[in-house]
Amino acid sequence: MTLANYAAPGTLEEATALLRQGSCTILAGGTDLMVQSKAGKVRFGDTLVNISRVAGLGGIAVEGATLRIGALATIAELRESDVVRDRLPALWRAADKFASGQIRNASTVGGNICNASPAGDTLPPLIAHGALVELATRPNGKVERRAMPLEGFITGPGKTRREAHDLVSAVLVPLPQADTIGLFEKFGTRPALDISTVSVAFVGRARKGTVSEARLVFGAVAPTPLRGAATEAAIIGKFLDEATIAKAADTAAQEVKPISDVRATAWYRREMIHNLTRSVLTDVARR
Amino acid sequence: MAKPMPVRTVAEESLIGKRIPKMDAPDKVAGRTRYVQDLNVPGQLHGKILRSARLHARIVKIDTSKAKALPGVHVVLTAADVDQRPIGVRKDHMPLKGDKVRSFRDEIAAVAADTPEIAEEAIRLIEVVYEDLPPLTDPEKALLPGAPLIHEDKKDNVAMTFDYANGDVKQGEAESDIIVEDTFYLHYVTHCCMGVSGIIADYQPNGNLLLHSNTQVPFLHKREFAEIFGIDPGRIRIIQPPIGGGFGSKLDIYPFEPIVVFLAKAAGRPVKLVFTREEEFVASPTRQPVILKLRSGAKKDGTLTFRDCVTLHDNGAYTSWGATTPFVMMQTISSLYRVPHCCYHTKAVYTNNPYAGSFRGYGNLQATFAVEAHIDKMADALGLDAFEMRLKNAQDPGEVTPQGMHFKSCGFKDCLKTVAARSGFSDKRHAYRVAESAPGRYKRGIGMASMLHVGGGAKIYPSDGCGTILKIDDFAHVTVMTGASEIGQGSETVLAQLVAEELGVPLSAITIVNNDTDITPWDVGVHASRTTFIAGNAAIGAARIAKTKILAAAAKVSNIAATDLTLRGGFVARAADGQVIMDLPKLLRSIHFQDKADLVMTTFYYEPPSKHQDKEFKGDVSAAYAWATQAVEIEVDLWTGIIRLLKVTAAHDVGRVLNRLGIEGQIEGGIVMGQGYALSEDLMVREGRIANPNFRDYKLITAPEIPAMDISFIESMDGEGPQGAKGVGEAPAICMAAAIANAIENATGVRITALPFTPENVYRALSSARGQAKGAA
Amino acid sequence: MSLAAELPTRRIAFTLNGSPKRVSVPLTLSALELVRDLLGLTGTKYACGEGECGACTIVVDGKSLNSCLAFAVDLDGRMVTTVEGVASDPALARLREALVEAGGVQCGFCTPGIVMQAKYLIDSGRATSRAAIQRGLEGNLCRCTGYVKIIDAVAQAAGVNA
Repeated sequence: MTLANYAAPGTLEEATALLRQGSCTILAGGTDLMVQSKAGKVRFGDTLVNISRVAGLGGIAVEGATLRIGALATIAELRESDVVRDRLPALWRAADKFASGQIRNASTVGGNICNASPAGDTLPPLIAHGALVELATRPNGKVERRAMPLEGFITGPGKTRREAHDLVSAVLVPLPQADTIGLFEKFGTRPALDISTVSVAFVGRARKGTVSEARLVFGAVAPTPLRGAATEAAIIGKFLDEATIAKAADTAAQEVKPISDVRATAWYRREMIHNLTRSVLTDVARR
Repeated sequence: MAKPMPVRTVAEESLIGKRIPKMDAPDKVAGRTRYVQDLNVPGQLHGKILRSARLHARIVKIDTSKAKALPGVHVVLTAADVDQRPIGVRKDHMPLKGDKVRSFRDEIAAVAADTPEIAEEAIRLIEVVYEDLPPLTDPEKALLPGAPLIHEDKKDNVAMTFDYANGDVKQGEAESDIIVEDTFYLHYVTHCCMGVSGIIADYQPNGNLLLHSNTQVPFLHKREFAEIFGIDPGRIRIIQPPIGGGFGSKLDIYPFEPIVVFLAKAAGRPVKLVFTREEEFVASPTRQPVILKLRSGAKKDGTLTFRDCVTLHDNGAYTSWGATTPFVMMQTISSLYRVPHCCYHTKAVYTNNPYAGSFRGYGNLQATFAVEAHIDKMADALGLDAFEMRLKNAQDPGEVTPQGMHFKSCGFKDCLKTVAARSGFSDKRHAYRVAESAPGRYKRGIGMASMLHVGGGAKIYPSDGCGTILKIDDFAHVTVMTGASEIGQGSETVLAQLVAEELGVPLSAITIVNNDTDITPWDVGVHASRTTFIAGNAAIGAARIAKTKILAAAAKVSNIAATDLTLRGGFVARAADGQVIMDLPKLLRSIHFQDKADLVMTTFYYEPPSKHQDKEFKGDVSAAYAWATQAVEIEVDLWTGIIRLLKVTAAHDVGRVLNRLGIEGQIEGGIVMGQGYALSEDLMVREGRIANPNFRDYKLITAPEIPAMDISFIESMDGEGPQGAKGVGEAPAICMAAAIANAIENATGVRITALPFTPENVYRALSSARGQAKGAA
Repeated sequence: MSLAAELPTRRIAFTLNGSPKRVSVPLTLSALELVRDLLGLTGTKYACGEGECGACTIVVDGKSLNSCLAFAVDLDGRMVTTVEGVASDPALARLREALVEAGGVQCGFCTPGIVMQAKYLIDSGRATSRAAIQRGLEGNLCRCTGYVKIIDAVAQAAGVNA
């Protein structure tokens, strides 16, 4: 299959119609697609569909109890958003540590989700927040939207539950309660520009060191972002003393399935998951 | 009687030591500078190289038919199509490989086509049949019986050996109250110039060859290219476009260069070849990796007694400048601090790994890493202060080392004292040592290291000189034609500054021509931190002859003795009080248009008063030597192994500061390059293949990671150096890793003897030292 | 993989350094290739082609981005500025002079990308402190200067205390 056509739809109606008509390759910010294209790793469809001009796909807005992040919202916009910084600090941290200023200006949240990299930085915090991904499609003349949990949407490296006729239109994040703690730690020597070696996202609630709610998601240590269910079980309802934290950190290290690659060995990734979990939980215990 | 003319005076104004912006900076900021990658020659074709898909194999067959048939392809060459001669330090390196491949970067075929894309496509269509041979990627196995023979015309895998000795190590051992021994592992890193390699070969209608090349040694290349192609060196012209970084990477001839010339010859068209970044990683020379075993001794009062050093150099598949780093390493082993007895041995062995070239510091980073680790180790074992022990053994001006290096100007002790005082070294080191055993996630430490490097050239080639031709026009515009290349380090601006100082003209009145072998006189090349010293003295020499001629003419016209006159601010003036005697341009025109018409045109060739080493590597190889001391303060995160550089306190003996802006820039850049070498850069060579040929996974230091820097200059005023200056280009990169190693030991109690100090490597070392995984106490 | 030159092309119209431009571009051509190879503006540099070094930085609709990652077709209808556009812009004279005077240029290969990223930081009000400038330049690699004088220069141009 090679590219034969190009389209730059201006509306969601047009975009979703195009996705029904033939095999399409979607272009948003292009920061992943261009790298893959140059490396010869893209099976291009028939039409390159540039969605960056589709109206209504951008923006970050509070809608009742939900924060609606448009698929075309850039990582830079996340980083500059007061509501993200104040209400979703784990996501804000991930945006702050994302690549570089130039890449943040172009990369989109929708792109980060659809690229589904095991190391995609916005994914652990979004999943830890229980975010939903909204898909738009146009089966018969009218655009229909449906939402499903982001957790489980990503099924493998580069693979999601999106069908060819779906367009990711937004991420819907339930706004957490005021006393929610949101943390994101990413291993790296630099403030940013590092592809994640490991990362840990925590969203939960605790009172004087006792955890009432916890969602822990690990990044870059499995084919997809990994929900740390066993680690959560080790801390929910518990008082975070040193022993509990140590046990939770041990559990985390055993729960993850890291590989060895040029960035790190599996052993070191486990050590870092252990230590970063310990660091995150120590932080939680102090709140 | 006519009214007397008002007396005008011009003040003395020296540019020496001032902050002078680089002359080419405005063009660079505007994006107007055209590097070799930006140049296009009419009618040019684009070249690409096919590199080996196997590590070690016989080439059974190369089928280029499909490539040749691709529309837009003009030439496809293999070894069978060219009359080539070997290149490199030991002439063991054929540009195109025909019989066998010995590494993954080996060049098998080359294509010239209408566009880079077509050339790339053609490369993919070339089919090669290989017959694998057993691989050899561990240098420690290279000399074992039965090891695969990399070059079958040689009797074994030894590429080069070096042996040096002075005094009697046995006697040194006998005199020692402490002896320490370690093996140090120094890793592969690479230059990562922001401008990738590129060249344009353009045969002229008269058969002369024009090369647009970023070589740092254009005159040596002329000669070598002539040998390779069997043509008269006088018919080769090299023009050097502005360069996107050098750092020693362009000191040797690499296969892509003659290959592009072969393509141009065969195609009858100019050919341009530019690397991709991946190709730059895969095919460029690296820093020399070294396995270094050092034994050092000292008396209980801290006096050093001996050093015994044995190294194994992985020479890779072919020999480039990396194999000659022992020239520099033995200088450090024998003469960094006063050591009466020394023994040094290197074996460089062939393997299927990438080969190493010359890289800023040229082996000195590796040697200093070992020497300075042992100073700390011995000081601690003897209960002596680490700074005091260094000071005790530091040399003074006038000393001659057992290797024959004459330290005429020497600011070594001032470097040490300045850094110790400004960094609070001894108190901090003690405090951090005490804090090391306390609980806590973050530990701080401070470490010190010094370096010694040549500062007045290095007489390894028959001549270590540089020529200058100077002319002044009728309007006092000065043109200086110098053999010394500008590789971004600012030599052009310094040379203009030195000439301006002599001739009293503004910098804007000076043009430097330095990039065309048809115009400029010979210079051996940009290496060994020699350019300011040697090209500087050559430029001063030519300028002083011009000044003498001008003042002699001025004396005739003014009836004031030439010795009472000077040049200042564009005028001829009276030296004593600055009274203007005449306008310089007017005087120059009067010289030009007098009865015996003449122009001011002068020449000077400066050969430094250094000596070639004898067969035992002894001799005063440089006209001057330079020192630096750096103290590095760090914070170690025990939970991740991440090291943060907090502050670098440095003192550099530079002889004299010429361009303060330029020299600060060299030091700052060198410190950060040393930081990368120590902490984050790691060219991962796995079974001969580079696993991280990109910036994503080969980590250069970025802007937010740099430390605070406190830089002092020690001006020891070298008697031979231009205005007293010595070379400094390599120095700041040399002792960073050594200082950081000592800081890690101070912070954690753990001595790590292998680079790099990446978080995983540090974490692993700390874990095994503490006998526990899963975090620290 | 087919050659980009063989792919279908699309005609785009955009503003380049203040002037209107119309050009046909292959669909997978990068903005960097458009600027350098098709339009002959060599100020913007290729140094990695993968968005890791910032040497290819341009400004599009007021935002800096890596031209090596941008699709040329996506420049349609946009306002594009390259370093050549900045070279003659009087509003940026202070930045250009600061880089020269502070010694922030050595080999100069990273300089165009630095100029464009610095322009973006200053124009968008993000150059608020030395630390912010350092973070703002984290996507621009320099091998020569050690960044110190580049940061000095941008701080100077932004009117920030160094």
